[in-house]
Amino acid sequence: MAAEKNGTAADPFEAFRKMRDTYLEGMSKVMIDAVNTEEYAQATGALLNNYLTLSAPFREALDKAMIMALEQFSLPSRQQVTAFAERFTNLEMRLDDLDAKLDRIVELSSAARTPHTGVSHEGKRVPAADQKLRQPTSRKQ
Amino acid sequence: MAEAAELSNDWIVLDQKLKTFNRLMTTKAAIGQTPKELIWTLNKAKLYRYIPVVPAEERYPIPLILVFALMNRPTIMDLRPGHSFVEYMVGRGYDIYLLDWGVPGPEDEKLKFDDYTLDYMPRAIRKMKSVSGAKEFSMLGWCIGAILTTIYAALRSDDGLRNLVLLTAPLDFSDRKKLTFARWTDEKYFDVDKVLAAFGNMPGEMIDYGAKALKPIENYIANYCKLWDSLDDPRVVEAWHSMNTWVTDIFPMAGGAYRQLIVDLYRNNRLMKGELKIRGEAVDLKQVRANLLNVIAEGDHITPPCQSEAILPKVSSTDTEIYRVSGGHIGIMAGSGAHKRTWPHIDSWLAARSH
Repeated sequence: MAAEKNGTAADPFEAFRKMRDTYLEGMSKVMIDAVNTEEYAQATGALLNNYLTLSAPFREALDKAMIMALEQFSLPSRQQVTAFAERFTNLEMRLDDLDAKLDRIVELSSAARTPHTGVSHEGKRVPAADQKLRQPTSRKQ
Repeated sequence: MAEAAELSNDWIVLDQKLKTFNRLMTTKAAIGQTPKELIWTLNKAKLYRYIPVVPAEERYPIPLILVFALMNRPTIMDLRPGHSFVEYMVGRGYDIYLLDWGVPGPEDEKLKFDDYTLDYMPRAIRKMKSVSGAKEFSMLGWCIGAILTTIYAALRSDDGLRNLVLLTAPLDFSDRKKLTFARWTDEKYFDVDKVLAAFGNMPGEMIDYGAKALKPIENYIANYCKLWDSLDDPRVVEAWHSMNTWVTDIFPMAGGAYRQLIVDLYRNNRLMKGELKIRGEAVDLKQVRANLLNVIAEGDHITPPCQSEAILPKVSSTDTEIYRVSGGHIGIMAGSGAHKRTWPHIDSWLAARSH
């Protein structure tokens, strides 16, 4: 009635919503307490442990079958791909070391020749970051 | 007749709500939209620099690097245009860099905190310094990113780190009664080696379940009920959509790092005890000398405040502050009130220390 006087229609579901929210609030407290018990931790731990134990033979069989299949097709195994990825990361690190050395050389040579800040084409002083971002080697994302 | 028209109208409203609900459940919102440039990569990790919008002369000379957790996308820092921490900070005149760890593959299952803090972070920071031309920098770590930044700050205290901002940092694991995760991952119930032997990396689905199961009714039921009630409010709908896009974008955590998190931190609290070793080097929190802002979420159920409070007496920093915000683990930075409380506070704290 009051809502109608204010120019808005009364919502017949309002009472239901309040009841629902009250129920969920109560249930939430119960569930938060429940998951915070040793019993819950024990139950979920046991469930996970059982799953891992029961699925282990299937995983092993699948792994063996996969290795054999990959060998048949002359394809690299997961271990070989992993080893390759590790080598690739090592290579990236060596490149990064070189990049660091180059940066150091550029820094030393520019410090010897010019002041730290440069001059943009608009004639304004621009810090090193903005100058470097204008270089063609940077990649847009 | 009027009743029939009203009934028809109700059906139209219901149909519209169902369509909106379906769209939210089946599509991805555009998140992480602030313009940025890739400046460095290593394995899956990427370092981005956000394109400045403030003239160079008006910008702060000390760059800020953002480091997020290992098991979620860092796009939460740049959620959506108009409600993005990154966009806000870029607009305030900071030179912002984001370290994105990327998605670990099977080949990354051995990656540990050691690799992240001693291989990835120093290299990314070197690149940031090289690009910005700055000798000093600020660093913001959130959640597990705060663990990594704290370790880095302790191990590389002479690397030019001037300001360290920790957000909801899980550093102290001594009060096990308040830590539900500690109970679940206790060695009596949870065999971390068996899980990692089976999966290599810790599956994102299991991490996601763990986070949601802390508050099961809220996350699995009430969240959707509240959304249903607000489907006619476009602001709520778009905010929910972008947050849901981020939350559901789950991926695994590198097995080695996950094992360290459980064994070294949750079970043995080695960082706080001064027993944590990274590649044989002891992590001594007394070596942390940077100015320190410790942001704590009062309603955080993932990292309860007790986990973050104990760091201050352990460090050597003389300029420290604890900032407590009402809200949850993610809400304090990405919630609707973040732009009124957390962001301005981080901005004002950094501004005073970024010249």
